[in-house]
Amino acid sequence: MSEFLQHIANTLILGGTYALLGIGLTLIFGIMRVVNFTHGELYTFGAYFVFLVVSVLGLNFLLALPVAIAAGLLLGAVIEFLLLRPMRDSDIDTTMLVMIGAMIVMQNSEQLIWGGVAKSVSTPFPETPLVIGPVSVSYLRVFVLAMALLLIAATYILINRTKLGKAMRATFQDRDTASLMGVNVQAIYTATFAIGSSLAAAGGALLGPAYVISPHMGDIASLKAFAIVILGGLGNITGATLGGFILALAEELGAGYVSSGYRDAMGFLIIIAVLLIKPTGLFARAERIG
Amino acid sequence: MSRSRVLAGAAILAVLTGTAVAQESIKIGVNEPLTGPFAASGTYVVNGARIAADEINGKGGILGKKIELVIEDNKSNPTEAAAVTEKLVTRDKVPVIMGAWGSSLTLASMPKLMEYQVPMLVETSSSGKITTSGNPYIFRISPPSSVEAAAFKPMVPKMTIKKVDFLVINNDWGRGAAEDFGKMLKSENIQVGLVETMDQSAQDMSAQLAKIKASDADTLMVTTAVEQLTLVLKQAAALGMKKQIITTGGSQNPDQLIAQAGTAANGTIHLATFAPWQPDSTPNPEAAKYFIGEWKKRGFDFPGVTESFRGYDGIRTIAAAIQKAGKPEPEAIRAAFWTVDVKGLNGDIKFQKQGPAGKESGQSVPNVYLIKIDDGKVVVPTM
Amino acid sequence: MRRFVPALLVALLASVPLWLSDPYILNAFITTGVFTIAAMSLNLLLGYTGQLSLGHVAFFGIGAYVSALTSLGFDVELFEGFHVVHDPWPVVYGFILGTVFAGLCGYLVGKLSFRVRGAYFVIVTISFAEVVRLVALNWVELTQGPLALTNIPPFTLGLPGLGYATLYGKIGNYYLVLVVGVIAYVVIKHLVQSHIGRAMIALKENESLAVSVGINVTRYLVLAAVVSAAIAGASGSLYAHYLRIIDPDIFLFLYTVTMVIMVITGGKGTLAGPVVGGAIFGAIPVIVRSFAAPEVQWILYGAFMMVIIFVLPHGIVPALERWFAPTTPKPERIAPQPSASAE
Repeated sequence: MSEFLQHIANTLILGGTYALLGIGLTLIFGIMRVVNFTHGELYTFGAYFVFLVVSVLGLNFLLALPVAIAAGLLLGAVIEFLLLRPMRDSDIDTTMLVMIGAMIVMQNSEQLIWGGVAKSVSTPFPETPLVIGPVSVSYLRVFVLAMALLLIAATYILINRTKLGKAMRATFQDRDTASLMGVNVQAIYTATFAIGSSLAAAGGALLGPAYVISPHMGDIASLKAFAIVILGGLGNITGATLGGFILALAEELGAGYVSSGYRDAMGFLIIIAVLLIKPTGLFARAERIG
Repeated sequence: MSRSRVLAGAAILAVLTGTAVAQESIKIGVNEPLTGPFAASGTYVVNGARIAADEINGKGGILGKKIELVIEDNKSNPTEAAAVTEKLVTRDKVPVIMGAWGSSLTLASMPKLMEYQVPMLVETSSSGKITTSGNPYIFRISPPSSVEAAAFKPMVPKMTIKKVDFLVINNDWGRGAAEDFGKMLKSENIQVGLVETMDQSAQDMSAQLAKIKASDADTLMVTTAVEQLTLVLKQAAALGMKKQIITTGGSQNPDQLIAQAGTAANGTIHLATFAPWQPDSTPNPEAAKYFIGEWKKRGFDFPGVTESFRGYDGIRTIAAAIQKAGKPEPEAIRAAFWTVDVKGLNGDIKFQKQGPAGKESGQSVPNVYLIKIDDGKVVVPTM
Repeated sequence: MRRFVPALLVALLASVPLWLSDPYILNAFITTGVFTIAAMSLNLLLGYTGQLSLGHVAFFGIGAYVSALTSLGFDVELFEGFHVVHDPWPVVYGFILGTVFAGLCGYLVGKLSFRVRGAYFVIVTISFAEVVRLVALNWVELTQGPLALTNIPPFTLGLPGLGYATLYGKIGNYYLVLVVGVIAYVVIKHLVQSHIGRAMIALKENESLAVSVGINVTRYLVLAAVVSAAIAGASGSLYAHYLRIIDPDIFLFLYTVTMVIMVITGGKGTLAGPVVGGAIFGAIPVIVRSFAAPEVQWILYGAFMMVIIFVLPHGIVPALERWFAPTTPKPERIAPQPSASAE
C-alpha cells in the first residue's frame, strides 16, 4: 500500500512537469499547425540559461527563473520571425523539416558552447526530503509542481480571459475569418510561438536543477510532450494538463507493476489506443486538424 | 547526373585532404563518439589519448618517428562507427585503431577489422560478445562485467549484504552487469531480488526506485553512467531510501557525483577501475601523477580522469605494441599485442586469450577498487 | 532526351566500381544507396499520398531484424514449454521474408493509422516506431535486445540446388544495392503512373473531392503503405547483411530524419527527388568530415537543410524541371495552396 501511495505521489510530481511541457507544445501545435521540433531545445535552453545565471553569474535560483522564462519568450519570437514566418504557406512537413534543422543546429551549438559534460545547478531548497507518512518527496520537486500548476493556470487565464487569448482562439478556429475580423494573424502567431517557447524554457529552468543539464536532455522531453499533446487533443490546454498526469500515471504504474523495460512504451501504447478509439484525443473539442 | 557529380566532388575533396598528412609519422586511428548522447565520455577519452601521444612524442616518439592520432567522430551511431573504421583503415591507412567507447559502436566496427585485418584496442566497451565472438583483431583493456564481478567476489563476505536489487541501464552494459553480478552473488549465497531497467535517455527513475524502496532487499546495485547515476542517487534520496547503494561499471565518476548529487551521494559505494584520489596507492604512481598533473594543466575538469585514463592507457599500450612489432604494420602490431606488458594507470596491461580457439581476442584484467563517498569525500575503506 | 536520364544514370552508377577503388567512398555509396532506397519508399507515402510518416525507420528496422533473424536462427519460448525454434536459412529467404513482413506491418499500421491525418498521423507513426524499438530492446530472448545481433551472415545470392554466391566484398554489395534500388524505382514508377497512382495524387490534392468522385481513400492509402513499408524493409535487410550487426539503435529517430530530408530536399512527389536528395545528403557528411569539427559538422548539416528548404521549398528536382522546361506545365504538381494539407 505504501508503495502504491508513493507511486501516486510520484505521479503528481511528474505529471505537473509533463503538463507544463505539453501545454507549450499544444498551443503551437493547435494554433499554428507546426510540429515544433525545437520545443525540446527551448527546454534545454531554459535549463542552460538558469545554469548560466546561477552557476556562472552567481545569482539566486529564484531570480534566475523569471529571467530564463523571459529569455525563452524572446528566443521563441526570434525563431518564429526568422524561420516560421517565411514558411507560413508551406506544407506541414516542409515546415517541420525546417524545425528539425533548427533542432540539430541548436542542440549541437549547446554542445559546442557548454561541452557534453552534464551540469548541475544548486537551489535554495533543502536536500532532505519532505516526508508525509509513507510518502517521501523532495522539496524542490514540490516547488516545481507548484510553479508548473501556477504557469498552467496563468496560461489558461491568458487564453480564456484576455483579448490576446480571444484572438488566439479565433485564429485557432478559423484563421481566415479571424483575419477578416481584424485580428493581426502574424502577430498572433509570433505571440503564440513565443508563449509556447517560454513555457518550454520554464520547464527546463525548473527541471534543470532537479535533474542534470546536458545537451541531449531535450530529446526525451520532446517525445513526452508530443505524446501528451496527442492525448489531450491539439490546442487544448486542459487536455494537455490532464494528458500530462495520465501519462505520468501510466508510466509510474507500468514501471511499478508491469515492467520497467516497457515504462517508456506505456505513453506510446496509450497514444495508439487513444487514436484508434477517439482519433481527436481524449479531451478534444470539435476542432480537428487535417 | 547530379548524384555522381556530387559524390565525385566529395571523392576529390576527400583525397586532397587525406594525402596532406606528412609521411614520417606513425598513425593511430581513434574512433570515438564526439557528438550525440555519448559525446562527453568520448571527448574525455580523446583528451586522455592526446596526453599519451604528446608524452610519447615528447620523449622522441617510437621507432624514431612521431605518432599521430587520426581522431574521428562516430556520432554515437553504429553505422557511422563502421564507416569511421573503414575511413581510418582505407583512407588514412592507420595500422591500428583505438575505439569505439560504446559496445554497439565497437561491435559495428568489428566486421571491418576482419575485412581489412587491422587490430583494434577496445578501451571502454563492456559487452562480453566483443571478446568471445572469435575476432582475433580485438584487444580490450576495460573489464567486461564478468571480470568486474570476479574482482568484487572476494570483497563481498567482508560487507553486510543479504539481498540485492538491481537497477541497470537498459543496454548491453547494464544487463550484462545485472547478469554477471547476480550469478556471482548467488554463488556467495546472497539473494537476488528485483532487476529493474531504465532507458538510456530516461531522467526520471522514481517509479523504479519506489518499487525498489518497497522491496525487502538491503542493498541496491546500480550500473549506468555518471549523469544518470546522479539522478538515481538524488531521486533515491528524495524517496528516503535507506538501502546500501553499490555502483559498478567504471563510468561513475565519484567527484562529479559529489559535486552534482550533493548529500545524496554520501554513503554510496563504488567499484572503480582507477583511483586518482590517492595517486600514490595506484599500481603506477609515477604515471598516475604525470597524467593527473597534465590533465589539470590542460584545464580539463578533474572528474574526467576516471574516464579519460582509458584513452591514455590505450594509446600507451598501442605505442608499446608498435615498438615491439618494430614496424607500423597491422599484422605485426596484432602479433605484438600478445607480448606487451605495459604498466598502466590501473595495473599491468597484459592480454589473455578469450573466445573460440584459433581466433581468440585479447582481454586484459585490470584492477578493481572499492571506494566510498563519505561526507562529500572519496575514501578507500579498509577491509 | 529526359527519359534517357534514368538509364544514363544507372549506366554511370554501374560503372562506378570500375574507376573508383577507394573502399571508404564505395562504403559511402553503399550506405547512401541503402538509405536512398528507404527514402524512395518514404516518398511513395509522403510525396504521393501526402502522409508524413515519421516512423518509417520502424519498417526499415523490422526488415533488418526479420532478415537477420531468419538467417541466424532463433529459439524463443512463447509461453510455458512452448518453443518456437528456427534454424538458420539462406540470406535470400531472409531478404524476402524481411520485405514481406515489413509489408504486412505496413498493412496493419496503414489500416489503423490512416484513420487520422496531418499532425496526428505524424505522431502516431513516431509512436509506432518507438514501440517497435522498445520491443526490440526488451524482447531479449528473440532480438538479443541491446546485446545486438552479431555475426549476421553477408548477403548470399542463389537458390537451393543452384549453388550460392556470398557477397563479402564492397563491389558485390554495391551492385546488389544498385539492383534493388533500380527494382524499387521501377516498382514505384509503375505504381504512381498507374490509375492507382493517379488516385493517390487526387487524394493528396483534395481528399474530400476524391472521396466524392468515389475513390476508396483508405484502400489506396493502405496499398501505398504496404508497398512503401515493403521497400523500406528490403532496404533494412540490405543494411543488416552489409553492416552485419544490428541492435535497437537501428530505430534511431535520426535515420527517419535522414530519409525525410532526402525526400523533401530532393523534391517530394517526384521520382528522381529521393535519388537526388539521397546523393546530396549522403555526400554532405563525407565532405564536412574532412574539414569541420564534430559539432560544427552537425551545425552545417542542419543549416544546409534549412537553406535548401528556404531557397527551394519544393525541392531540387522540381526546381530543375522548371529551369529546363519553363513552359511545360507539370502535371504532377499544382501551385502550393495555403495550408492545403491542413484543412
